[in-house]
Amino acid sequence: MKILTTVKKVVDVELTIRVESGAIVEEGLQYVMNAWDENAVEASVQLKENNGAETTLVSIGGGDDNIQIIRRGYAMGIDNGVQVDDPLLAGADSFVLARVLQKVCEKGSYDLIITGKQAQDTDNGQTGIILAENLGIPCVSNVVAMDVIDDKHIKATRLGDGGKEIVEVTLPAVVTVSDSINEPRLPQMRGLMMAKKKKIDVMDLAALGTSLDEVGGKDIRSEIVEFSRSQARKAGKKYEGDAAQITAQVVDLLVNEAKVL
Amino acid sequence: MAKVLVIADIKRGEVKRSTAELLAKARSIGAETAVVAIGNNLEALIPGLVSAGSESQYVADDLGLELFSAAPYASCIVDAANQFGADQIWFASTESGKAVAPRVAARLGVACATDITDVTSTGDNIEITRPAIANKVIQRVKINSEKLVAVVRAGAFEMTAEGAGGSEKVIRLAAPPADLGAVVKELIADASGDIDLGDAAIVVSVGRGVKDQKGIDLVKALADDLGAGFGTSRAMVDSGLMGHNKQVGQTGKIVAPKLYIAVGISGAIQHLSGMTGSQVIVAVNNDPEAPIFNVADYGIVGDLFEVVPILRQQIKNIKK
Ligand SMILES: Cc1cc2nc3c(=O)[nH]c(=O)nc-3n(C[C@H](O)[C@H](O)[C@H](O)COP(=O)(O)OP(=O)(O)OC[C@H]3O[C@@H](n4cnc5c(N)ncnc54)[C@H](O)[C@@H]3O)c2cc1C
Repeated sequence: MKILTTVKKVVDVELTIRVESGAIVEEGLQYVMNAWDENAVEASVQLKENNGAETTLVSIGGGDDNIQIIRRGYAMGIDNGVQVDDPLLAGADSFVLARVLQKVCEKGSYDLIITGKQAQDTDNGQTGIILAENLGIPCVSNVVAMDVIDDKHIKATRLGDGGKEIVEVTLPAVVTVSDSINEPRLPQMRGLMMAKKKKIDVMDLAALGTSLDEVGGKDIRSEIVEFSRSQARKAGKKYEGDAAQITAQVVDLLVNEAKVL
Repeated sequence: MAKVLVIADIKRGEVKRSTAELLAKARSIGAETAVVAIGNNLEALIPGLVSAGSESQYVADDLGLELFSAAPYASCIVDAANQFGADQIWFASTESGKAVAPRVAARLGVACATDITDVTSTGDNIEITRPAIANKVIQRVKINSEKLVAVVRAGAFEMTAEGAGGSEKVIRLAAPPADLGAVVKELIADASGDIDLGDAAIVVSVGRGVKDQKGIDLVKALADDLGAGFGTSRAMVDSGLMGHNKQVGQTGKIVAPKLYIAVGISGAIQHLSGMTGSQVIVAVNNDPEAPIFNVADYGIVGDLFEVVPILRQQIKNIKK
């Protein structure tokens, strides 16, 4: 089985994000692998370990951080890495990214494509699903468990609105994974050392055999015009001391001040 | 006049409040509204779809649509959108909505925006706002395509008086072919007695501070007293003590009740991004430095095992 995993570089959401004049201040930001993509990498490495698979990851983006993220994937057990690095893709929306990924898929004939269900920076949750539409193959999103049935079929458990949906999927297919599918392994020192020596297949759009026009980059469907800080909720009042007394006080306020009880 | 198609949010044979909220918003911006309902045995729901504020109802009612499957659901919506001539297609923030919206947008060749908190259209210009980066920033996004598919964040649009009351005009949709590449074999349904987190006026959530099943039971009793939905943090889901479907947060459910009571939850940003839209937040935590207190309107610093029984008693007293 050939598996492609998509990984994205995202800002470390635990750090302070500053916004000035409608834009995010780059200075001081740090980048990490999108948490859900770590789950996707873990899922493909587990499939490799348990069922035998050739695993490839692809990341769209440039810079040293992106190289580190691909290396992290290697250190977790991924075999091959592709980096699509092209400054033309700076303003890409989900549809453009999905077209780029489609080109990568078409080059490699993968049986299974695993993506995180969303990215921590945008929380869009669209790219994997659109990719499947473009490729005309099945897609199951928000997957919390996955088992191989045979060469051509997997069983995916998806968390839906009414409970767990058990879906039998014919490959090739796209699966977008939830963070509850697994606990991503921490790369070990040795793996990280080895990862440094591994080759990364870097290409721009031309090398990928496409152009900005063909991936829809000249006609993006949506663009961010401005960032602003979210209106942080103001901290209210903390009540400390005798449990019975402070609890009574808060209940009284919920009834008479907030009027929610 | 813009035409807005709202995807009916149907769960366990009931039209959810979010349907009326989305229709109300559509009407408040002067749009012509339609709703599309997909499932099996929907006949009895039609009056509810009308009173939710729709002017026409596209109904795909078929045994084959009983269980959710993203591809055929998307086909029904594309069909309805084309027949209606929809300019905008709005989904409530449900797992099925999140799965189907990008497909519909891909098929129609239009933009898709998820988790939106507002949408404005002036002339041909559509703009949306949405939170990003775990709620730390707000994006204002310009839509370049003529049409928009959007998933609306829970609690973003409010019911208004003008929303209520539509008119009946039912259009039946042909059942689409099943997705043979992704066959839904089974639905392991959530326990039926539970109050839906999305509907609940009050949500009580437990975090790792409750420690074990006994702690959960203690707080669940408070939720039951209040007729509240019962939610949780990811730490509790990871430990296997609570089900996935109860998780509130960035990866779980986004809730915006009148009152949210967080018990033994530290307040990690991923949890906060699922509940800071609540009207009033109460936190119970024995660590005065817990970040949950930064968003709580009323913070009770104390041992939950001591506070919760008192809280129950106090609430019982006022209910008398
Ligand atoms: C990509 C990603 C997505 C995530 N998505 C989500 C999400 O959707 N939802 C979510 O909740 N989390 C999510 N998380 C996890 C999140 O970061 C936190 O780990 C999690 O919310 C912590 O849960 P908790 O507050 O229950 O546990 P803890 O952080 O361990 O907090 C327990 C709290 O209980 C208090 N406590 C202990 N004993 C008592 C006592 N006797 N009385 C009173 N208080 C007590 C402690 O002071 C502490 O504040 C996500 C993480 C990542 C990386």
